[in-house]
Amino acid sequence: MSSSLPPRAGSLSGLTEPEAKEFHKIFVMSFIIFTVIAIVAHILVWSWRPWIPGPNGYSTSMLTTHAQFALAHIANAFA
Amino acid sequence: MYRVWLLFDPRRALIGLFGFLFILALVIHFILLSTPRFDWIGGGAAVPSAGQMSALPASK
Repeated sequence: MSSSLPPRAGSLSGLTEPEAKEFHKIFVMSFIIFTVIAIVAHILVWSWRPWIPGPNGYSTSMLTTHAQFALAHIANAFA
Repeated sequence: MYRVWLLFDPRRALIGLFGFLFILALVIHFILLSTPRFDWIGGGAAVPSAGQMSALPASK
């Protein structure tokens, strides 16, 4: 039982505060690297085949239609 | 925030996190492989969605 444990011998996980800080630094850095890689992968996959279809199906993705809309707008402004 | 590691054992947390992420990645990859549009091994052109594959109008 918990009564057999020495009273307040550190923390529940057994780590001391400096150890927790050190581990946290590594953990956060790894998380950031993982997230950046995931974002890059998602950008690449979206450019390959977007997964949210536009109003007219996949042939015109929302990104494409928005880009085309913006381009048409700019072209009209200069015409 | 670092105090979570005073509560949770980092070794268990990491094993759990890696296990969860691995299973999740495996599931997502297999789901994508099972679809015609995102199957990157079967190759072929992008398959439009089912809604787009409607029959031609009667005039044609």
